[in-house]
Amino acid sequence: MASISKLNRHQARTAYMFITPTILLFVIFTVVPVVMAFYFSFTNYDVVKNRDWVNFDNYKRLLHDDLYWTTFKNVAYYTVIFVPLNILISLGIAMLLNFRRFGVRLFRTMNYMPTLTSAVAAATVWVWLLHPEYGLVNTLLGYIGITGPAWLAQTETAMLSIILVTLWQSIGSNMIIYIAGLQGVPDYLYESAKLDGANALQRFRYITWPQLRPTTFLVSTMSIIGALQLFDQAFVLTQGGPGNVTKTPVYLIYQQGFNQLQMGYASAQAFILALAILIFSIVNMRVNKSEESVV
Amino acid sequence: MKKWISLMAIASISTAALAGCSGGSSGKGNASPSSTAASSASESSGKSSGKPVELTFWGDWSGEGQKQFETMVDAFNKSQDRIKVKYVLQQDMITKFLTAATSGGSPDILFWDRWRTSLYAPKNVLHPLDDYLAKDGISKDDFYGEALKELTYKDQLYGLPLTVDARALFYNKKLLADAGVANPPTNWQELEDAAIKTTKWNGSKLQVAGFSLGDAGLFNMYLQQAGGTMLTDDGKTNFNNDKGKAVLDYWDRLLNQDKVYKIGFEQGLGESTDAFATGKLAMTYNGPWMLTTYKKYGKDLDFGVVPPPAGPNGDKGSVMGGFGLVIPEGSKHQQEAWEFVKWWTANKDNALLWAKTSLNIPGFKPAIEDPFFQDDPFWKPFLETLEIAKIRPTHPGYSVMEGDALVPNVQLFQQGKQSAEDTLKKAQQQGDKLLQDNAVVE
Repeated sequence: MASISKLNRHQARTAYMFITPTILLFVIFTVVPVVMAFYFSFTNYDVVKNRDWVNFDNYKRLLHDDLYWTTFKNVAYYTVIFVPLNILISLGIAMLLNFRRFGVRLFRTMNYMPTLTSAVAAATVWVWLLHPEYGLVNTLLGYIGITGPAWLAQTETAMLSIILVTLWQSIGSNMIIYIAGLQGVPDYLYESAKLDGANALQRFRYITWPQLRPTTFLVSTMSIIGALQLFDQAFVLTQGGPGNVTKTPVYLIYQQGFNQLQMGYASAQAFILALAILIFSIVNMRVNKSEESVV
Repeated sequence: MKKWISLMAIASISTAALAGCSGGSSGKGNASPSSTAASSASESSGKSSGKPVELTFWGDWSGEGQKQFETMVDAFNKSQDRIKVKYVLQQDMITKFLTAATSGGSPDILFWDRWRTSLYAPKNVLHPLDDYLAKDGISKDDFYGEALKELTYKDQLYGLPLTVDARALFYNKKLLADAGVANPPTNWQELEDAAIKTTKWNGSKLQVAGFSLGDAGLFNMYLQQAGGTMLTDDGKTNFNNDKGKAVLDYWDRLLNQDKVYKIGFEQGLGESTDAFATGKLAMTYNGPWMLTTYKKYGKDLDFGVVPPPAGPNGDKGSVMGGFGLVIPEGSKHQQEAWEFVKWWTANKDNALLWAKTSLNIPGFKPAIEDPFFQDDPFWKPFLETLEIAKIRPTHPGYSVMEGDALVPNVQLFQQGKQSAEDTLKKAQQQGDKLLQDNAVVE
């Protein structure tokens, strides 16, 4: 017995040694800044001069910050449309490309490509594509007699354009995750279902979809977090305009902290955003709750 | 947390883009990238006797702009042997300066977007220059007063202007002549008439826009032309009145009745497809930083520049912007840094060398008297505009008020989503709140 526990202790020591570098980095670059930001959210920290305790002033100010809540509405709208579409399209493409057939890899690669491009560069190209007069999108629409809108400049279409561009860029990686998930579904399930006379729709409904729950949970959680932190694409495509309809919380946090030197207030804003992400994630967890626990 | 990295990336990209646009690109081969360009980054100023004092100069201009800076730095280093300045490119300069200002490693001279003064001076990170000016007998009258005002906080001067700019009206001579407009417009009415005549629609497609209304941020300029001001003296918005209404009515007429422009027409058109350069836009407000770009088109783009047309009551207006040099409080060699700032910004020959190198208008007025500026048909209208141009109000919350309250509401108005009255009222309410929330914290 003694020798076994000795071995265990030895193994545990080795394990800790292996994870130490990662944990250290995690603590220094994630845990410590988060704790500090939490502290700063109760101060009027401005990086250079002040760091006085102001109690809940920053949070009180937040309550009456209409612009901040507008940006929340914007990303909520974005998330509600973006996340379901993201799951639907990436799962759809994954199912289309989940075959062993000549050339299928080429299509997988092509679908994955947008993910590899830099967000800013891709968004810049999309600005051209969406130009009202000379853009490819409106030119194509023109051939079938439709006068396309000024996609990025009109309040009605600006957020939709951002949703489309970010979808285009994010479905690639989710497709890969779904393909991996699909290949993990055991064949005998389909086989026995077929023997029992289940059609394709039923097989999807009762086998594929439940089997993919852990995958869907992962994909939806990641895209919710990403959606609420929307920044780069919106910044490049519309700079928050027109009429504030595409401004996002992260945009405001950045502006308040780095441009206006109100790091304390920006930290408070960031914490509320983190809270919102937590709430959305919990809701998502409930929705995805499966028989076998996922988390 | 990973998001912050991309935030930084965005910030640096946007500042780089900004620098690129303001810096212009001088096609002349007078910039001399010597070996200093390749030397390693910021070595802290060593203080050993006999050796020259080494100063670090931070800026966020890269490429052509960096070469222009280095030309000036080299010229200064050659002019004496006590001080040696080195330019260090900081893509994300302001963020970097924030940490450097408190933790040591502060540069000795900083290239400074002047409007930031009202935000940073109250934080005691910039060194006041009044004593140096008095000691060296430098007259403030030699500089553009408005530019100095922008560098002043509580009657103390924190820097000297390096460049000044203001927007004036660029017009395409050929498009105006073809449409039968003999002279470039001098007032709002003539501008409207010329815009109507030069606009060309093909069905629902706008082929040539008469006049650019793409930038709602120019409200400030129009408001001045209508005889108004953006803020009251006690720091509140001052556009919810008939002056502000006049601007919105004018824009509404141009955009929705005369249809001389279409929202989003210029969005995303880079330098190579610039609407004005490619003859798709007859008139637009722009700054001297675009001269180099447009001149490159040579015969393909026959254009002229006139000062901004006057408003209904003859008021003139334009917004002055530009850069300056400041000395951080954290610098260990402020006296030497001042020598450099003085040499560059307050000396006629050097200011002129800078102007010719970078194709910017210097803030030092004696240098403007040179024929290089006075005899040039493109510089002249800008000089006239600068005489009437006013800086943006020096309230630390001004840019936020403009960007988050005024411009969004004006955009909604332009797209017919709310009336002029509602627009002004909402912009006032939201704007006043933002001004208050972002007021000076000492």
